[in-house]
Amino acid sequence: MTVLPVGDGAESATRAATQPAARGRSTRAWWHTNTGRRLTFGYLLLAPAALYVLLLVGIPFLFSLYLALSDANVGDPVARFVGLENFRAAWEMDTFRDALRNSIVFLVVAAIFKSLLGTSLAFLLLQNFKGKKLVRALVVIPFTLPISVSVLSWKWMYDSQFSVINWGLHKAGLIGAYGSESWPIWLGQPHLALLACIGVNVWRSFPFSAIVLLAGFTSVPNEVLDAARVDGCSFFQRFRHVVTPMIFPILIIGFLFDTVFTLSDLSVVYLLTQGGPGSATMILPVLAYQIGIQAGSLGRGAAIALMLVPLLFLALFLMLRNLKRRD
Amino acid sequence: MSDLQPAPTVQGSVSRRRFLKVTGGAVAGSSLLTMLDARQAPAQIRGTTLRILTWSHFIPAYDVWFDKFSAEWGEKNGVKVRVDHIPHLEIPARMAAEFAAGTGHDIILNNSTILARLYYKSLLDLTDVYDGLGKKYGGWIPAAKSPIEVEGRIYGIPMYYILLPMLWRKDLFEASGLKPPDTWELARVAARTLKPKGNPTGIAFSHCNDANLNWRSLMFSFGAVETDPSGDHPAFDSKEMREALRFAKALFDEGMTPEVFSWDDASDNRFLASGIASWIHDAISAYRTTESTNPSVFKNTFVANEPAGPGGKRVSVSAPIVFLAWKFSKNPQATKEYLSYLVDNDKEGMIQSTGYNMPFLNDNAKKPMPIIGADPKLQVLQDFPKIVAFFGYPGPYTPQIQEVANLFVLPDIFTKVARGTSVDDAVKWGVGEYRRIFAKHKRA
Repeated sequence: MTVLPVGDGAESATRAATQPAARGRSTRAWWHTNTGRRLTFGYLLLAPAALYVLLLVGIPFLFSLYLALSDANVGDPVARFVGLENFRAAWEMDTFRDALRNSIVFLVVAAIFKSLLGTSLAFLLLQNFKGKKLVRALVVIPFTLPISVSVLSWKWMYDSQFSVINWGLHKAGLIGAYGSESWPIWLGQPHLALLACIGVNVWRSFPFSAIVLLAGFTSVPNEVLDAARVDGCSFFQRFRHVVTPMIFPILIIGFLFDTVFTLSDLSVVYLLTQGGPGSATMILPVLAYQIGIQAGSLGRGAAIALMLVPLLFLALFLMLRNLKRRD
Repeated sequence: MSDLQPAPTVQGSVSRRRFLKVTGGAVAGSSLLTMLDARQAPAQIRGTTLRILTWSHFIPAYDVWFDKFSAEWGEKNGVKVRVDHIPHLEIPARMAAEFAAGTGHDIILNNSTILARLYYKSLLDLTDVYDGLGKKYGGWIPAAKSPIEVEGRIYGIPMYYILLPMLWRKDLFEASGLKPPDTWELARVAARTLKPKGNPTGIAFSHCNDANLNWRSLMFSFGAVETDPSGDHPAFDSKEMREALRFAKALFDEGMTPEVFSWDDASDNRFLASGIASWIHDAISAYRTTESTNPSVFKNTFVANEPAGPGGKRVSVSAPIVFLAWKFSKNPQATKEYLSYLVDNDKEGMIQSTGYNMPFLNDNAKKPMPIIGADPKLQVLQDFPKIVAFFGYPGPYTPQIQEVANLFVLPDIFTKVARGTSVDDAVKWGVGEYRRIFAKHKRA
């Protein structure tokens, strides 16, 4: 290591004369290098998105973490630190455990149906037929309608007395008349109620799955599919061994979005059943809202909402790891 | 130590500071009371703005009147009044947002979910307005203070409450030789008799406000209570509560269909209007709706007093509607002036709501009341102010009771029993839920 002499004026002059040459050789400012300029430009482009995530996701997340560890309520700005008390208390609630179970069932069942329906719809939209553009426009309607409007329509369709679904089933001879044992009470029987809520979520979201898949399908070069066809691959073989691996990253991202949307979906259950009957349709976002906002216990509500985070992280981790392995 | 203590004051002697404080307060207070009494708005409120957040009333004509009334008051007093209507279920979230932001509406309506005790530190103390109005109109009904009183101060002005009486089909009862449903037992006999004839009854066993209100009316009429009078401890684990639960189970088995598990607040309205229901226990909106949707059913639908329990007790649990005002309101004077004027016109409000709004003030509750006093079928509603109670009865309407109501714990106890859980197990579950919620609030 070279140590520059520090001392009188003559020494300083010598140093001043030798330094620029040294810098020019080995310590040119990092941001003046090509790599530096490229990276600086890259980070500058990234900055708005990073700032957005930090301000609108990171800070609220940290704030909810702070709330979850305190006894904050909506009417009192001063909160005490209570450690993990809110998490412990939530875990002791029967309703919380029901909500956790229902959230997982909701997510898994909805994902299965959305995958099946989304894939079918995407294949359908790949075909050439008359009125294809109109059909494409129509299928996204559930996704674009205001959720309150669409869920209230479903509430009418599930009405215990005037359900159009039951009316149709009755006319088809599949169920008895109103008041009979076979007349389904969609939002009143525990399993049916959960299924009914999942049904609305699937109806609302599967066009999104279809659009994501459609984007993936159209990105697969025809030559590759033709080659597979020439090699004698059946439709399902082509789908499994050619299409799926090629669109896997898109599938994972779509699946990730859908997981987040489904697990944090408050509106469908809140508007249809408010978690009832009993706690048959209670899910974590609804419980968090009822306790945190309606009853004003921000700390407890935040703790319940944060219980979603490990679930989401697990899903995220598994999906991204799978994606990385395939890469 | 003793040096730090203030010198003892001699009784009767008055310091200059104390004199100024007392006389200043007295002058300000008496000026306000004089202005309130004379209905003359102070000049200071001219040129200000008053923002009111209220619900969308079940009677749309009332909202039209309310908006016009508020605008006219504003014009008269030189105040720019803005009224925003939102669904009442969204009000708690809006209040939380306004509290967090420290800005928003000056006056906020609370319906059923009364948040006065939760936000009282940030609410305007309205004790002077409340006391003044009480003095002017013969006092408030006993239940009025329950949702808005905290540590002896008043943080809201009760506007009206919504009753849920018994609405019964006289034609069906008479055809089967049944007595009017004056007691819960008679109501059960009617349900048991009329269900096989295609006319079941129904009370929601679901997560809706009607379920919260109706099952409490039943249990309180059976002699059960929700909390002790202090409101600090749940007290429903009792013989009377078990009796009420057994009764509810029998009522469900004998007189209802499983659709009650799916009902929302409007389902029983439709049930009555469809002509199927033999009786329902609901707000008179159901009765009013039937007037236009099914006139023949309306003709035969009658309103009964709250059914009495086995001991003859009648308690009607109602949905209170109160106005709160933020302490950070920029216009506290106009807020108080407006609220006083609104209560002064309570009777007009009752008329505009077609008898839906029930008065909290004794003088306004005297017979004959507007609309309902003139309608032979509705006259019985005039007897309700004596038996009205709110959540938490006989204790006050506390934040813990609010949380219990928000989570529908009480309807869930009844639902469990109706679905086959033993009464003891359901009560045990309910006690656990109540205790957890009460313990959390006690710690806070």
